[in-house]
Amino acid sequence: MDEKVKTQQNLPSPVGAVLVIGGGVGGIQAALDLANSGFKVYVVEEESAIGGKMAQLDKTFPTNDCSMCIISPKLVEVGRHLNIEVLSYAEVVRLEGEPGNFSVQIKQKPRFIELDRCTGCGDCAKVCPVEVPNAFDENLSRRKAAYKRYPQAIPNAFAIEKRGISPCKANCPAGIHVQGYIALIKQKKFKEALNLIRKNNPLPSICGRVCTHPCETACSRSKVDDPIAIMHLKRFVSDWEYSQKELEVPRVETKREERVAIIGAGPAGLSAAYYLALEGYSVTIFESSSEPGGMLYWGIPEYRLPRAILKKDIEFIKQLGVEIRTNTPIGEQFSLEDLLAAGFKAIFLGVGAQKSTRLNIEGENLAGVIPGIDYLKAINSGKELPLGNRVAVIGGGNVAIDVVRTAIRKGTKEVFILYRRRREEMPALPEEIREAEEEGVKIHYLVAPKKIIGKEGKVVGLECLRMELGEPDESGRPRPVPIAGSEFILEVDSVIPAIGQSIDLSCLSQGKDWNISRRGTLVVDPITYATNIPGIFAGGDMVSGPATVVEAIGAGREAAISIARYLQGMDLHEGREKKLPVAEITPQEIKKHPRYHPPKISVTERIKNFQEVQQGFSEEEAILEASRCLNCGICSECLQCVDACLAKAINHTMTEKYLNLKVGSVIIAPGFSLTDPILRAEYGYGCYPNVITSLEFERILSASGPFQGHICRPSDHAAPKRIAWIQCVGSRDQSINKGYCSSVCCMYATKEAIIAREHDPEISATIFYMDIRAHGKGFDQYYERAQKDYKIRFIRCQVSKVIEHPKSKNLIITYVDENGKIVEEEFDLVVLSVGMSPPGNFRILSRTLDIKLTPYGFCQTDPLNPMETSRPGVYVCGAFQSPKDIPETVSQASGAAALASEVISLSRGQLVTKKELPPEQNVTGVEPRIGVFICHCGINIGGIVNVPAVKEYVKTLPQVVYVDENLYTCSQDTQAKIKEIIREYRLNRVVVASCSPRTHEPLFQETIRDAGLNKYLFEMANIRDQCSWVHMDKKEEATEKAKALVRMAIAKVSLTEPLVEQELSINKRALVVGGGAAGMVAALGLADQGFEVVLVEKENYLGGNLRNLYYTINGDNVQEFLNYLIKRIQTHPLIQIILNGVIVDAGGFKGNFKTGIMSGPGMAYRKVEHGVTIIATGGEEYKPKEYFYGEDPRIMTQQELEKKIGKKEIDPKNFQEIVMIQCVGSRVPERPYCSRVCCSSAIKNALKIKEINPSANIYIIYRDIRTYGFLEDYYTQARKAGVIFIRYDLQNKPEVSIEKEGLRVSVFDPSLRETLIINPNLLILSTGIIPRENEELATLMKLPRTPENFFLEAHMKLRPVDFATEGIFLCGLAHSPKPLTESLAQAKAAVSRACTILAHDTIMVGGIVAQVEKEKCSACLTCVRVCPYNVPFINDEGVAQIDVALCQGCGSCAAECPGKAIQLQHFKDAQIIVKTSALFKEKVA
Amino acid sequence: MKVSFFPGCSLEGTAREYGESIDAISRFLGIKFEELPDWSCCGASSAHCLNEFLSLSLPARNLLLAEKFHQDLVTPCAACFSRLKAAEKALQQESNKAKVAPLFRGEIRVLHLLDFFSRKEMLQMVEAQIKNPLSGLKILPYYGCLLVRPPQITEVSNWENPQTLDNLISVMGGEIISWSYKTECCGGSLLLTNPDIARQLIKRILNMARQTEAECIVTACPLCQANLDTRQEEISNEENGSYNIPVFYFTELLGLAFGLKEAKKWFRRHLIDPRPLLKEKSLL
Repeated sequence: MDEKVKTQQNLPSPVGAVLVIGGGVGGIQAALDLANSGFKVYVVEEESAIGGKMAQLDKTFPTNDCSMCIISPKLVEVGRHLNIEVLSYAEVVRLEGEPGNFSVQIKQKPRFIELDRCTGCGDCAKVCPVEVPNAFDENLSRRKAAYKRYPQAIPNAFAIEKRGISPCKANCPAGIHVQGYIALIKQKKFKEALNLIRKNNPLPSICGRVCTHPCETACSRSKVDDPIAIMHLKRFVSDWEYSQKELEVPRVETKREERVAIIGAGPAGLSAAYYLALEGYSVTIFESSSEPGGMLYWGIPEYRLPRAILKKDIEFIKQLGVEIRTNTPIGEQFSLEDLLAAGFKAIFLGVGAQKSTRLNIEGENLAGVIPGIDYLKAINSGKELPLGNRVAVIGGGNVAIDVVRTAIRKGTKEVFILYRRRREEMPALPEEIREAEEEGVKIHYLVAPKKIIGKEGKVVGLECLRMELGEPDESGRPRPVPIAGSEFILEVDSVIPAIGQSIDLSCLSQGKDWNISRRGTLVVDPITYATNIPGIFAGGDMVSGPATVVEAIGAGREAAISIARYLQGMDLHEGREKKLPVAEITPQEIKKHPRYHPPKISVTERIKNFQEVQQGFSEEEAILEASRCLNCGICSECLQCVDACLAKAINHTMTEKYLNLKVGSVIIAPGFSLTDPILRAEYGYGCYPNVITSLEFERILSASGPFQGHICRPSDHAAPKRIAWIQCVGSRDQSINKGYCSSVCCMYATKEAIIAREHDPEISATIFYMDIRAHGKGFDQYYERAQKDYKIRFIRCQVSKVIEHPKSKNLIITYVDENGKIVEEEFDLVVLSVGMSPPGNFRILSRTLDIKLTPYGFCQTDPLNPMETSRPGVYVCGAFQSPKDIPETVSQASGAAALASEVISLSRGQLVTKKELPPEQNVTGVEPRIGVFICHCGINIGGIVNVPAVKEYVKTLPQVVYVDENLYTCSQDTQAKIKEIIREYRLNRVVVASCSPRTHEPLFQETIRDAGLNKYLFEMANIRDQCSWVHMDKKEEATEKAKALVRMAIAKVSLTEPLVEQELSINKRALVVGGGAAGMVAALGLADQGFEVVLVEKENYLGGNLRNLYYTINGDNVQEFLNYLIKRIQTHPLIQIILNGVIVDAGGFKGNFKTGIMSGPGMAYRKVEHGVTIIATGGEEYKPKEYFYGEDPRIMTQQELEKKIGKKEIDPKNFQEIVMIQCVGSRVPERPYCSRVCCSSAIKNALKIKEINPSANIYIIYRDIRTYGFLEDYYTQARKAGVIFIRYDLQNKPEVSIEKEGLRVSVFDPSLRETLIINPNLLILSTGIIPRENEELATLMKLPRTPENFFLEAHMKLRPVDFATEGIFLCGLAHSPKPLTESLAQAKAAVSRACTILAHDTIMVGGIVAQVEKEKCSACLTCVRVCPYNVPFINDEGVAQIDVALCQGCGSCAAECPGKAIQLQHFKDAQIIVKTSALFKEKVA
Repeated sequence: MKVSFFPGCSLEGTAREYGESIDAISRFLGIKFEELPDWSCCGASSAHCLNEFLSLSLPARNLLLAEKFHQDLVTPCAACFSRLKAAEKALQQESNKAKVAPLFRGEIRVLHLLDFFSRKEMLQMVEAQIKNPLSGLKILPYYGCLLVRPPQITEVSNWENPQTLDNLISVMGGEIISWSYKTECCGGSLLLTNPDIARQLIKRILNMARQTEAECIVTACPLCQANLDTRQEEISNEENGSYNIPVFYFTELLGLAFGLKEAKKWFRRHLIDPRPLLKEKSLL
């Protein structure tokens, strides 16, 4: 460590910023500590919000606090901290550099909602049609694709989840938002669906009928059963529109001057025209024929596309002002040049492929040979063209099919199709082929024409050849090869070649160097559709060669975008490539549901005429069919949110971002993932609906969970009465490489059982367990209460299988009871206590960060440096280090923060932002001038409460000089506006009527402070959470209530006073009490950060309890470590050691403590001034009275044994029979707690003895083996080494006697069901840890203690090393029994917590604090007794005094004071009373 | 497609309809199951309890025979599969190989018939041939124990909730009824040596089956089928109840779903006659 410090000084100054990976409780704590110690912090969180697993929990043990309630303030603090930047949806992809100077690259997923604009109102989620399982509720409920992870989420903003582009959209040449309009149809939003289709396709009625629907080919549903009937659904909405009275034509926003010419009124031209017209251009289409529609009109028969339908779509486009000039061919007569000369600024060419391809065989010029296109054109223009009785159609495409079906309808008796490949290769749509066959068409496969035979210039026959298939040709299909000698002749009256079309380029101007492909198509830019002639664009068949309607439409639209860009002088290419990958889903677990088929007209009916064959869906069918959609992309891009978001925060074009950051150190806190319960498939998770995981049960218990806190089981939502918990699912299980104990499951299962019983006392709760591991502070007492007070049954056994009753879905568990009997018991619900596994991305994370992992995949650390990873400068905390509970995670988080800041302590304060504030306005004695801002919150408030009415009402109230309503009062522009108005109207009080002070009060207070008002001159009326949200159905009453709430806020604010906080300087010295491991590490930690430390030790030597330890369970040498610590501490220039020191008086407060110490042999007195105090007074091994301890040299404690082995005072080789008794004096009424370390100490010593003397028989007599976390591996190792474990319970304690022949231990073995007698040579008593004598110190410093005399922290879960009194911290055994590694982590944590104070030069005190009116005080001591922080005291004047620096502003004393001598600032009686009387004031008419 | 086939002894006796249905469907699908010439007892039910060497050498002899043909060995019996597969695995260890079958090269693999039909390409082949889908027939898939356990030997990944039979039922168009006793032991070979225990086990399974809405059970093991089919009358008498749930071999249902005419003949051999059920469902 010394070397490290030295080399650092030669380096350039480190970067004063830290990267924290993971936004769970660990990451949050580390970030807050660092940011409050003068460093910039980046928090990288992979989810859309921070909070981690803790946010998902219902309650926390052992205090049964609401998990969300206790983490939520921390979330808010992170969210509002100036020096913490939360990067959500993000992951680290690269980390390079050295401690002090790392470069990090971060990948951030698009959120599709702008964070700085989103106000969190949720209107996007309301309109979102896509529901997906809600991962936050462990998939027990559903949420929208637009979502906020949970109501209290930070960042307080929504996000849109996309998996990628849905395959249907990706495969659609026009890029239609297919999944989107299907989702809207499902919601009956037909108009919206159609509008969405028209964003990419202006011809929905046509495409609903004749599209080749490549979307359906790509549909993921086809992997399960059949694709969604997308085309029919499109037709359904367009038919629906047709049935409406009026067409709603979109409004053209801006009219533009430029004129655009379009050549050809086919689908490409129509599409281009539509989108250009929408952009405001004046568009003229030049069509050579007499009708618009191109091939849609001339090529497609009416039985597929009725003319009225075609006309409807074209009319829609014309209504936008598009002019169509028919009979106006472009060519030599009237050329493209003429158009440009006439003032058209751009031209789109979409003339299609109109010429039939020739067969190039003999006889093609005979009468009776009619090209397919010509035939269709003739019929579609109303001409008659008799074909005779036998007709051969050559070709396998849609034209061939259209010809044969038309011919049948025109009375031809026999129609054949000749196709040279097989049916599989036919390009026509399968359903078209099927329908043609139904109508009597015969198809000859593998046949090609050789020669048309004529007689008298007229067709009489066709000579054909049979084909076979060879190698694939360039089209990828097998090449047909003629079979020699297979000629045969068909007698026919007509031959119709339909083998393809070619392009007529006669419209192109001569003399220009057009880029023409070898296939005769016009070459354009594939993205912009620009030809090589500037201003001229082209698309459709003339570019692609003969293709589909939808391709032409897509091309037309893209060309329209290019033309608009061209005319506006913009880049044609920018941002037009596809961005998201195509969404893939795995079709497992998807229920089959066959496709709905709309009806068709019967064959006999339809071949008589040209009536439309295919009928449409009914509304009901359409909705059911739409419901089959699997929502592959998750977000359907229906764009409803774009319209719904009045704050304009939605941005569907966002893309993945890469950020590069510089940081000085890194903390990883990625948490854990739940072990997959499928690994223990015998419990039926995933098969039996009523077998759930413990986290699912947490969500069920939670009031904000899927069932609003009602306990109900998934299968039938009935209230379960018999619930079983199965422990160790995926823990302590070598067979699935989860040999470790997950540490928390015993306690959380006990807690869940208690809470379940509290919800419903009729529930009987049973926990099946192996050992109960209640090893934390207060845990054993909790476990005892669970048994005694809550009657929870604990059954020790490993459940081998869960069986489901097929009818009731109840579950049957078979187990062996305490008497060895096999019992079969039925339960309504089974909760699997699943263990912790490394976080899902642990391998990638370890590779990216280059850190080593343990074989289980957790982060590798050293027990003496539990937060250091294998990479210097990268620290770890929380469950990724080892499975652990919240307090240990929080301790480690603070500890990691201490390490992370140590590296960069030279740069403290360099990168932090401080706010410069204007001076405050003096308002004393000034008449209140109140400004009121009423919020609509989108439609959250405005949709229920009549905001304008409230505004009018507020205008009538006294002292109000300004009232306004805002769409979102919290948006950034409104903040600026409020500041402006405060100045303009000289406001001196502000009221905001909006959502909730819980989330928004600090924001508004900051705003008025920026405008020069004291932040306490503000009041908030909660007219959303407590008004519009809860009175949705009663709009009028809600409006009245809103008025009353605002009236009350105005009344209160008129009496508010500015509160001034006092600035006090901070003494940057720390006092550490206790010179054991924890105290020394804490002192060194602070000194290494550059702070002076005074270390007081009661004894005349350092080391404390560490002096009794010689080796750790993993073999580290403890005495070496101790010597290293002592050497460092003695030589550190910033540390002063006081040995033989006793604290005799204490005073002061955070930042300015004064402590009196007597020290040395002479007991000299000195006063130490310091800013913080760390209590590390330690603990010691309990010396038992039980089992003849002290009466026989063969009976000793574990520590004594360790010392004797360590000092080689005894040789284990000499002892053959050794008994260890666990829980001696622990977990008994006198000391009801578990000492956490004794099980592993016994195993450690047993393994040590076995190592030296493998043949020794060691018996460990235990109650529960509590080797939590990775210590479990040593338990396994001990059993493998032959250590014998015998269980006992409190009723059947082992009996020890000293006989003449030696020691005698008798114990009842419950597995053998017999009493065993052992005659050991050594009897080792595993005794617990008791705190050192600390009563005097506790009294002097007013520090609370537990009933067991350990010091009591401020909060069991979230403030494990803080005292309620600010500025005083604790660590090590003084807090509770724990192993060395945890003491060290706590010591570091105390350093970090202390730095949050020492890092500052001054502190602000005061504000909302209690004040005593001396005259009224009668020194009754009520306040002294009631204050939870021990602040009030009776001073020299004989009255109560409350130090502003110590007061927490809770108000308990003010409420209790019988003399009304105490007032809490900002909540004074007068202020409360005026508010309540405002409530009961008469309503103003 | 050709594979070697190890019929096992029961196909000649109690499970003749199994053998016949295998024969019919393989002919129909054009699969050649080539009976291993001169095959001998697999050693099931007793050898492995009595003599380790014998328990390996009996199946090893058959494996050696099979290796001559360079084709994987398929067996329709779960017990044969278990023994052959156990030998296949054991012979991977040099010490065993040297002792039992030094000439075995370990180039072939033993497959159960159900695994053979559960391969992706087979499922596709089967699906394409379904002419008489078992629509509306509520079926309990029953694997028994030896098909899936021990997983180190059977190479089954989801031994607690196997899916191969389920997948086949699904392809045949039948309705799968899920239940907890998919892999429960039917008592197997204990039926002769300790019938009391076997009857208890059979009764448990049949009781559970009765509580579901299933109309029949489908198995892939001659022992399972025999145990579940033949004991129903006895248990009915004992319990004063009526146990009459048909128990099929999966190959019989395949034949039925393919629309094979000879399927009728197989059902005659069942003690619980499935024909009324199949007629009711218009499947026969």
